[in-house]
Amino acid sequence: MVNIAPQGSFNRVTVGAKWLLLCLLIIPVVAGVVGVFLPAMGYFPAIGANQFDLSVFAALLDVADIHTMIWLSLFTGVAATVTAALFAFVLLSVFYRSRMLSRLQIVLSPFLVLPHAGAAIALVFLLSPSGFFARLFTFDSSAIASANEGVFLFDSYGISIILALVLKEIPFILLMAISVMSQPLIQEKINGYFKAGTALGYSPIAIFFKLVLPIVFPQIRLPLLAVLVFAVSNVEIPLILGPNDPSTLAVAILHWFNHIDLSMRLQASSAAVVQVGIAVFAVFAMLAVEKGFTFYGKKWLQRGKRQATDKAISATAYLLLVVYVVLVVSAVYTLIAYSFAKQWTFPNIIPADLTMLHWNTVFDAVLTPLSNTLLLGVSVSFSALVLVLLTLESEPLNAAKTRASLLLSTALFLPLLVPGVAFLYGLVWFQQLILKDAVWFHVYVAHMVYVIPYVYLSLAVAYRKFDNRYEMVALSLGTSPMKVFFLVKIPLLIGPILVAFALGLAISFSQYLPTLLTTGGAISTVTTEAVALAAGSSARLSAAYVVIQAVMPLCGFGLAWWLSNVLFKPSTNITSTNKSSTGKSVRSV
Amino acid sequence: MALTLKELKIFKGSALLLSLDVTVKDGEILTVMGPSGSGKSTLLQVIAGHLNTPFSFSGSILIDGTDLASKSPHRRGVGVMFQDALLFEHMTVEQNIMFAMPSGKYQSINKKREAAATLLEAVELGGMQHRAVTSLSGGQQSRISLLRTLAAEPQAVLLDEPFSKLDTALREQIREWTFTQLRERNIPALLVTHDNADAVSAGGQIVELLSC
Repeated sequence: MVNIAPQGSFNRVTVGAKWLLLCLLIIPVVAGVVGVFLPAMGYFPAIGANQFDLSVFAALLDVADIHTMIWLSLFTGVAATVTAALFAFVLLSVFYRSRMLSRLQIVLSPFLVLPHAGAAIALVFLLSPSGFFARLFTFDSSAIASANEGVFLFDSYGISIILALVLKEIPFILLMAISVMSQPLIQEKINGYFKAGTALGYSPIAIFFKLVLPIVFPQIRLPLLAVLVFAVSNVEIPLILGPNDPSTLAVAILHWFNHIDLSMRLQASSAAVVQVGIAVFAVFAMLAVEKGFTFYGKKWLQRGKRQATDKAISATAYLLLVVYVVLVVSAVYTLIAYSFAKQWTFPNIIPADLTMLHWNTVFDAVLTPLSNTLLLGVSVSFSALVLVLLTLESEPLNAAKTRASLLLSTALFLPLLVPGVAFLYGLVWFQQLILKDAVWFHVYVAHMVYVIPYVYLSLAVAYRKFDNRYEMVALSLGTSPMKVFFLVKIPLLIGPILVAFALGLAISFSQYLPTLLTTGGAISTVTTEAVALAAGSSARLSAAYVVIQAVMPLCGFGLAWWLSNVLFKPSTNITSTNKSSTGKSVRSV
Repeated sequence: MALTLKELKIFKGSALLLSLDVTVKDGEILTVMGPSGSGKSTLLQVIAGHLNTPFSFSGSILIDGTDLASKSPHRRGVGVMFQDALLFEHMTVEQNIMFAMPSGKYQSINKKREAAATLLEAVELGGMQHRAVTSLSGGQQSRISLLRTLAAEPQAVLLDEPFSKLDTALREQIREWTFTQLRERNIPALLVTHDNADAVSAGGQIVELLSC
């Protein structure tokens, strides 16, 4: 019996690319975890520690406030993720059948593409004691003191961290859900359920929570857990917005690893292992929350109420929308105004005088970081795109899910499910052992680890939607698989391909920790500079950097949109002779 | 150029889906009918070379006595047409046809272009070379799609319910026209359909598949 269609040399190339992609995802993460686990167990030859024991962990538990740090990481991460998911579902439930959905995506997309660091800095500008909102609500300057008390920035409970994470993660969760819901098979099912639910008298919002969400949720569980792991372990948001004494564990790990005293590395490594533990615990906590919702959800389903407190849910959704619009508008205004302000005394809402001085300074200073960012972003995103395209192409036509594809989908989430602050240090340790001076190579690998999954997830949706019959027709015309790939598939998928490339750029632009650690500060990017400036003195330069951070990914997506409208479009100039022939053929058919 | 399916058995997992032993003569249009799920489309995938797990087959597929099993899909010389025209939207009408023409056969790109124009004129679609395919009517698209298939000079053609999306009046015209073109070129064809009128008009052998 024959079952597998014969494969040619192009297929060998694509399968090779798939294994290369798997290696790029798995090896750095596994090496990184090993590299951080060894010092945590007391093995760190550089300072003469050669014995395996648990004393490092014991020492860690004696560090002042360690329990508060762990609690802060766990609490902010879980609370932010659960809140963001609930809000995203509330928004979806109100808008999933309406044309507002596309407008909603437009309002939320600035938050999606703005790097976490940029979003955190923007929030500081809005919420700090002399920030924009304080200006808005302070009508005489004697109220400054009371304004100070009312602002919760850098609070010891981590509320400001939660706020920033929620604002940043809602758009991501929403877009993941939308992309699942627009898969042809699922879309068909949802439409059917909607008709059946409406016929039974359920309101659209009730249908979303009772019929649609149960189909969609399993498909976004993994991305949601990736969001959660990021939330409990990210560095830039608590570094910029969070409390200092004590900070979250991830921020503490950053300080300990960078401590002049090398022996602090042991403590940092054991803390990184604890950080992995926190992530695992958070994942189980999240799954427990999901179980709870499912349990009560089933009882709720059986009760058969036709509405789901519709009014409260719509009100929440519109309120959220207003919050986003206000935040986007005031952030854009504040950042731009700050970057041009000569003098802007509190509590004035408009700066007294404008100047190009800050921008001139920025233009001089930003040249190197900007060219570094672009060089890194373009090379990383382009090679990730090539690898991902070839990997997707290695799947045979009409194939059922195989074990290899399961390995791939697990590997894709590996870098997103292992906290970066844990494995990146281990990775750096290995990199310094092997190729000490190949800084660009190291930072390239670290970026690839984060860019590949997003490029893959973004393109896989389009590939799944692609009508395979185009490929079958092209092959049946005698065109080789390689030519079909270049001449048919790429042109027909050019839109999604360019969007995936722009997404890869945006992800690379936003990397803070991977860039900082693998280069040891030798290569500065716009994002590392922005974070450094946020801790520094000049609010104006900081504002200018956030503006650049926001504009860069938008340029990428704008370029993608424009190119996809220009590339591979046949000339559509219908001349008069063509028109007459149209008339003739319409008659004849 | 006859197409022979010799003791062909198609399996889904280990279960037998269908078995067939038939020869389609040159210029004959064989009709395969049967309910959905009976394996009609899978049969076409076997012949075109797109079969994959969980399906497998035994027996042989021969064109003029040459076995296709070891050949890649693009080396089989088997044209496929679906219910949608599936014209490549990033190419003009002319480019779609030139994409299909054998690459070594024409001395220059201009000769190739002339040949495409001749093909179009022969079916009253002259002067449409530079149109975007999205600007064509449904009937025009169907005809260009068949022209594209024929331009590749296939040794056999598979038709997967190619007329089912056209409205009734148009369907008869396009059907007659398609069958005439295939017979004129003496190409063996295999037609999968639900429509009895298609089978009658094809005028060849009729195979009824039973549902499993």
